Amino acid sequence: MSALTLQNLNLSVRDETWLDDISLHLEPGALYTLLGRTGAGKTSLIRAIAGLETLDAGSIEHGGVRWDGLAPWRRPVAMVYQQFINYPHLSVLDNVAFPLRRAGVAAAPAREQAWQTIQRVGLAAMADRRPGALSGGQQQRVAIARALTKDAPVLLLDEPLVNLDYKLREQMREDLVELLEGRQSTIVIYASTEPSEALQMSARLLVMEEGRVVQEGPPRQVFDAPASVGAARVVNDPPVNILSMTLDTDAAEVESLGWFSLETLLGVERLGLVGDQGLPPGQYYLGLRASDLALAPEGRPAVVTLTEVSGSETVTHLDMAGCHLVLHERAVVNHPVGSQIHIRPRLSTVFVFDRNGRRVHVAQPGQRADSRQ
Amino acid sequence: MADIHLESLAHSYDPAATSPEYALKPLDMTWRNGETYALLGPSGCGKSTMLNIISGLIQPSHGRVLFDGDDVTGRGTAARNIAQVFQVPVIYRSMTVRQNLAFPLVCRRRQRAEIDRRVGDVAELLGLQRVLNRPAVALTADQKQLVSLGRALVRDDVSALLLDEPLTVIDPQLKFELRRKLKEVNQAFNITMVLVTHDQNEALTFARSIIVMNHGEIVQQGDPQTLFDNPRTEHVGYFIGSPAMNFLPAAQSADALGVLDGQLQVPMTSAMRGSDDLKIAFRPEHVNLGGEGHRVDARVKRIWFEGLDQVLELDSGGTRFRARLDDWRGTVGDAIELRVMDSHLRVFRDGELLEAR
Amino acid sequence: MKTVYLAIKYLAILLWSSFVLFPFLWAVTTSFKTANGVTGGATWIPWLQYEPSLQGWQSLFGGSGGTDITGPYFNSIIVTGSASLISIVLGTLAAYGLSRFTFKAGFIRNADITFFFISQRIMPPIVLAIPFFLLLRQLGLLDTLAGLILVYIALLLPIAVWVMVDFFNNVPRQLDEMAWLDGCTPMTTFYRVILPNSVPGLIVAGMFCLIFGWNDFFFAFTLTFTDTQLLPVAIVALNSSVTPWWSLSASALISVAPLILLAFVVERFLSRGGLAGAVR
Repeated sequence: MSALTLQNLNLSVRDETWLDDISLHLEPGALYTLLGRTGAGKTSLIRAIAGLETLDAGSIEHGGVRWDGLAPWRRPVAMVYQQFINYPHLSVLDNVAFPLRRAGVAAAPAREQAWQTIQRVGLAAMADRRPGALSGGQQQRVAIARALTKDAPVLLLDEPLVNLDYKLREQMREDLVELLEGRQSTIVIYASTEPSEALQMSARLLVMEEGRVVQEGPPRQVFDAPASVGAARVVNDPPVNILSMTLDTDAAEVESLGWFSLETLLGVERLGLVGDQGLPPGQYYLGLRASDLALAPEGRPAVVTLTEVSGSETVTHLDMAGCHLVLHERAVVNHPVGSQIHIRPRLSTVFVFDRNGRRVHVAQPGQRADSRQ
Repeated sequence: MADIHLESLAHSYDPAATSPEYALKPLDMTWRNGETYALLGPSGCGKSTMLNIISGLIQPSHGRVLFDGDDVTGRGTAARNIAQVFQVPVIYRSMTVRQNLAFPLVCRRRQRAEIDRRVGDVAELLGLQRVLNRPAVALTADQKQLVSLGRALVRDDVSALLLDEPLTVIDPQLKFELRRKLKEVNQAFNITMVLVTHDQNEALTFARSIIVMNHGEIVQQGDPQTLFDNPRTEHVGYFIGSPAMNFLPAAQSADALGVLDGQLQVPMTSAMRGSDDLKIAFRPEHVNLGGEGHRVDARVKRIWFEGLDQVLELDSGGTRFRARLDDWRGTVGDAIELRVMDSHLRVFRDGELLEAR
Repeated sequence: MKTVYLAIKYLAILLWSSFVLFPFLWAVTTSFKTANGVTGGATWIPWLQYEPSLQGWQSLFGGSGGTDITGPYFNSIIVTGSASLISIVLGTLAAYGLSRFTFKAGFIRNADITFFFISQRIMPPIVLAIPFFLLLRQLGLLDTLAGLILVYIALLLPIAVWVMVDFFNNVPRQLDEMAWLDGCTPMTTFYRVILPNSVPGLIVAGMFCLIFGWNDFFFAFTLTFTDTQLLPVAIVALNSSVTPWWSLSASALISVAPLILLAFVVERFLSRGGLAGAVR
């Protein structure tokens, strides 16, 4: 039961910062998801832990052992790539047995153990085939099986499902969670760009942005109180509305909506943004979830620019005084493009970020429509 | 711009065989000018074959392809004026964004002024003005994909735009933007768009008409809501919606069909008789905590937190099903009382929806 | 339309293959002719047009009017074979290093080293002949198999490095990394993972080495005298004031035989596929 401690990891390549002073303490038995956009540093961090990138500074320690200068082949880590990487010249069974053989396990027990893992990932019928003869999903199962047989205390998964069909991905996500259940001594680090995947699978979320970990916490906590504009963007799909806002001593006005006062927009004064307990006057960003906007006859007018209807939900893009807003409704509503609808924010969560994008406030005026939060 | 008709179209990669195996089974279809379509299905369902037949990369073994009544079956891709955007952005690496966008027109020897105007228009629509003079290789993946799209749009003679999983390499946050741009393009140019995808969410949000394919066959065509509420087969019910529709094998009695120990019941009709394979189905989205409907008592087995709501795996008398709830808080093992509206229950006989229940 | 296209296609193929096969046909018929058969214009059909004779073939194995090429033949096999083998082994190792690791020595980088290898083949052979001659004389290796093997390694190594660097650059790096994470050191990674998946590249490099080595006349001629003769030199030595077309033809056929055999075997092997399935 050893924890993994990362201290001040820094990595830059050709004047570009890939990892910016990352310090983390990761405990075994939990699935950590690195959530961030492409280029946020997820892959770099995973590769740094595996020893595949040479850090400029910082140290990695696992169970009292410093990994600095430890070659990848001496680190107790297993990894699954985004691409389907297998040994083309070996059968599925030999692929999975490969790490065991390298660790000095004799051929027969290694194959026996590999066989059991292959059964668990549902590839028993394919054991004698070469990876090239398998479908994409099966190839990735082989790679996962190989990582599992190594039974390393640190398991790195770099967007392993991103290249799979949607429905297969859904299935594999559940399978993966099941396979990893009960591995109390393993630290699993899973990189993802998909909010729903990250929220569903992980015990703890690590939100990455521009080479930094900007927030760490249980999924619900990150979702309910994102630490930055970037974090709010990356955990929300459909996207969160971000508006610029100016706070005076006695009023909050939303610039991007043509200087509407926030009170007019939200219809409430209880946000607690101004006044004695409020924020200092200045420039801020306002974050409003697409689902926290609602149709309301008494609301403000907006012009529909696009409607996206999925089976049970509707996402409508709106133009309000030149500002792009997204409205998410839990019903099928076909607002015609070009028509005018009236919306207002629900009396629910409003995030306030400072000009550097850091969250300074979560306002939850009044009672929410539902019992969440 | 054109209507596209597929007339008794079928394709077999080995048509000479005595019983040819069809990659695409016989079908008739019309795609209207200016509409958005999605071909949805798993890998190997025939959707790419269909796309390649329309673009002219594959000659169909049977049937004809008509553009506005004009038979183009024997013509090559170039003669059909089809524009295609692929999964991986295709850009000319040695050129700037402007040169990339202008290339199709330069090849067609258009006037300088016309080229500048078209490129300007397309760049504005796609939001590429600021990067026009940059080398195309220096762009991000999503911008590159926009350039591929832009090259398809600068031509004014495009009959249809075929999109072959163009959003696969794009981040979820940017997917949203790109999808929006595609729809704007559709409205601005009134151009027929066909999206090929395995991602049901993408298909539902992009297209007005979705064609669900499986094993080389069109299983169902319809708008998102129809596919969601009335999937014609179990496959559609599974493929559309995340998580999939709940299909529960039903027990038959003299006058009713029941699941979950009779907690959900529908009256027996003549259409249901004479089959052992009867299922009652409902969407996880149509399970509620309160309100009207059949009452179902269940125990929570697993919780998937999805942000705005959560998906629960539930157990009732040994039968598992799923529900999507947005206003529940609890833990695994909790007992829970649910409601399912009668109007949301569907009956499937031998894997197919019984329309009138 | 389709049939016309097909007809043109096959006609073109036919024309080209006859163009390629003609010299062989000529060599085969000529090798069974005698002086009389050769002088009377082109003839093709044995017995009818000319009287076939084994004289040409016999002269290659100590028969009258020729030399025994058995010795040179085996010399050629030994020199080409061992030089190719050593070049491939050394070249593959060097190429893997150049493809995967970064070298720095002053201003010299990987690309410079690769260029250095290739530059060996840019110089015209004549420039190398004298240095090689002096070097071998100094080492006492003139007119020996060992000396020739050394020189051939110097000639073939650049080819092997060139082909293999290019091949390794196309093998996904993640395959190496995966092997490291599975517990392989760089050396075990090389021979357990990379090498088994490099057979197509090895074959191409091997073919190049064998062809270049087997067909070299220039160095075989300048660096040997009488003790160690290689096949190309021996064949040239068959020539006399009256050109013995029959024995020259026979020797030409005998000398290309191993390469043709090799080409057939390799073609079979290559068509079975190489790296399929490493990375989607």
